[in-house]
This record gives sequence, C-alpha cells and structure tokens, in this order.
Amino acid sequence: MLREGSELSLVDLMSMAKPNLESREKILAKLRGRELVNCFQCIKCTSGCTALKLLELKPHEIIKLVNLGFVDELPSSDIIWTCVTCLKCVQRCPQKASPYHVIMALRNLAVEREAKVPEGYLKAVSQILETGLAETAQKVVTRKMETVDRECLKLPKIISPKVGFQAVFMKTMEEK
Amino acid sequence: MKTAVFWGCRILTGQFAYEMSVREVLPKLGIKLVDLRESMCCGDPIKSVNDFTANYLGARILALANLTSLDNLLVPCNRCHFTISEAKNLISTSAKAGQKIKDLLKEEGLEYNLNIKIWHTIDLLHDLVGLERIKKAVAKPLKGLKVATHIGCQIIRYSDLGRVDDAENPRKLDELIGALGAETVEYVEKLDCCGSALMYSHPDSALSLTGSKLKAVQNLAVDGLVVSCPDCQLMFDVKQKDAGTTVGAKLNVPVVYYTQLLGLALGIDERKLGLHLNQSPVDQVIARISA
Repeated sequence: MLREGSELSLVDLMSMAKPNLESREKILAKLRGRELVNCFQCIKCTSGCTALKLLELKPHEIIKLVNLGFVDELPSSDIIWTCVTCLKCVQRCPQKASPYHVIMALRNLAVEREAKVPEGYLKAVSQILETGLAETAQKVVTRKMETVDRECLKLPKIISPKVGFQAVFMKTMEEK
Repeated sequence: MKTAVFWGCRILTGQFAYEMSVREVLPKLGIKLVDLRESMCCGDPIKSVNDFTANYLGARILALANLTSLDNLLVPCNRCHFTISEAKNLISTSAKAGQKIKDLLKEEGLEYNLNIKIWHTIDLLHDLVGLERIKKAVAKPLKGLKVATHIGCQIIRYSDLGRVDDAENPRKLDELIGALGAETVEYVEKLDCCGSALMYSHPDSALSLTGSKLKAVQNLAVDGLVVSCPDCQLMFDVKQKDAGTTVGAKLNVPVVYYTQLLGLALGIDERKLGLHLNQSPVDQVIARISA
C-alpha cells in the first residue's frame, strides 16, 4: 500500500531521465488514437484538477512528459495514483488530449511492469475472479445500531456468475 | 414499462438504501424492474489495472441485459454507468476491440446488443417518466424543504460519451427535486468531487475532499444534501464523521438519495426506503416532511 507523503516526487524521478520512444508508442497504442500530441499546454486540465491542491497532480505535466517520451519514470511514481477520476480534464481539454485516459494507460503500464500499485485494485481483481463482485457483501448497522443484511431487508440474493466466466476473465487479463 | 436493472458492487454489497428506494419508487411510477441473471462488477476498479478487461466486463453487462430482451437498462450507480458507457463506446467505435470482445463473450454463450439504451436513475426519472408524471404522483409535497444537490462526476462527464446531464451546469436533479415541491440552492462547490476514488490510494485526501464539500454545504444552512450515486453517498453519509475529523469540523449534514426523498413525497414508509440505514442525521428531514 502506498503511504502518503513517502514517495519520491516526479522531479526526483525525472533527474537524468532519458526519453524512451518505444514506451511512448506503448502509451499511444493504449490510447487508441486520442490526440495527445496536440496538447499545447493551455493548462485548463491542471487549473480544474480536483487532485491539484491536495496531491499536486498536474495533468498538463504528465501529458508533456509522455509527449516527450519520458514515460518510464511515470509508472513508478505515486502521482499517477492521485487522480480522483472526476473527468473534468477530459471534459475541458480543447484538444481532446484527455489526461484521465493517459493516467489510466500509465496505471495499466505500472501493473504490467509490476511497479507499486495500491493494493485495493489488485484485491478487486481477485475478488471479481472469485465471486464476480469487486467487494464482499456487508452487514450494515442502522442509526439505531441494529445489524442488518440483504436478507433481513428482503433484498434478492446475490447470484454468482456462471461457470466459464473465470476462464474468460483470465484471458482478458492477458490483453495488453 | 419494463426495464432491466444492473446494480453493481457498491449498491449490492452495502448501499442497500439506494436499491430499496429504487425498487420502491419506480414501480409506483410505472417502471417495472427486471434484475439481470448475475450480480456482477461493471469493470470500474479494473480500469486502473487492465483497460481491456474493464471494457470486457462492461460489455458483458450489456450482454447480460440482452438476455432479458428488454430495450432499456437502468444503471443507478454513476461509476457503473460511466464504465458501461465507455465499453459501449469502445465496441461501437473500434472494430478490432469490438470483435475481440464479441469472440470472448461467445465463449461464455453471451452476445452484446448495442441497441440497448443505458439509463441512470436521474435521466430515467427526468426524461422517461417525466416531471409532470412525478408531480401528479406526489402525495406529500415537500413544501418549505430547501436542499443542496450533488449530482456526482461520472454521469455528467465527459459529454462526448453522451452523458445524463450538462457537464458544467447540470439541472435535472434540481428539477426533479422541484417537482416534489422542494427548493434547491446554487452553490460554488456544487460540482466538487466527493473524493471516493482516492479511497484505495490516498484515503486521507479522499476524506478531506468529502469534508470540504460537506463543510460548504453545512454553511449553506440547508435541510440536507441530495445525491444520486452510491459512492458519493458512502462518502458523504457513512464517512461523514471521519471526513469531519479530517477537515477539523463538526459535521451534521443529512444526506439522502434522491429516490429516498421521492419515496417520502410519494408517501412511502421510511423503512421501506431504507432511511433507517443512512448514518447522517436524516431524522430531522423526515420530521420536517411528516410535520
């Protein structure tokens, strides 16, 4: 699990970094034609970014780094895990460079490279494989402190996926 | 009218009040719900791990909906609605990815259908049921009630995908509340995010976002905050105390789902709407309405 405030900053990771155009191509392929190369650093994304103030996420910097080929440092940086997925950057980008999608592609690359990934995401994968759901059904407590579950609330039972799902799910995880 | 319904993990495993209230109010407005064959994940958390798998799971929901032979699919969770919409968009625009997904679904004996329309609770009620029909069904108008709204991020952005409401000036939730006789307020922080997606990686920052928004709502001196997403409800309602601690404020904001508020206006018993499950002080809202 990543701890807050314990990570190397992006600038630390970037010192003496060299561009890697192959890694850049990898990200571009994952973006399926999103026009990231047309970013002209208007900074609309960063000025509206939910994670800017608290976690110093600057989406325009990430776009610039990827465009220059400085891709290898990003998957090891905590910065890609600070996006709240509010999608304001996608909405407001005048060039459809879509920083959110770039960050997601970098997260996927971090998983491929076995970089540090917040545990919750990997746990979700094993949960889905096991039960079909990313979370386990809970008992909840009412305001009057009674413990209740789906059954006593007369909600229908949770139904697992049919046999065959797991094998196909594993196959999809092989796709890069 | 019948519609298929896909709930998603968050609702099925813990946000029971949303499911209960949706199951109560929609039939009273002429919408019969048909559950899918399986309880599944839409793919949302997997977007960060493997985009293809996430899109497969999203497309698989469309395929499960296809088994019902119905033309409409209700997805009450904002994040599921976004994930399934992106999957649908991918298979409609990328022949290569579309074919791969089609082949894999075939191995499970499934087939997606791109003609199925995806609805969220908000546009289903606003555009399909309609404000007039809701107004007519109201048994207890919520006169004098003044609330703030939080529509949530993922059903309004990004517009190119086709979303439920306008990205910068969403009005539908406000209008739906107006139809019940209550009033909504405009406020600067209206479009601020609840922070829930950071719970996996930066929980303190997530709670700080939740707390900041709740603090702003508290300062409006309204009767409560109305949401329409199970992730937002989890943050604003269940985690309100923790969020308050994080931002150093004593928070006391009643938070309800729109469908709970609608249910009260339709005269449905509060327990049937799961109002005993909300952790925030909703009794004061219920008391105002019953008075």
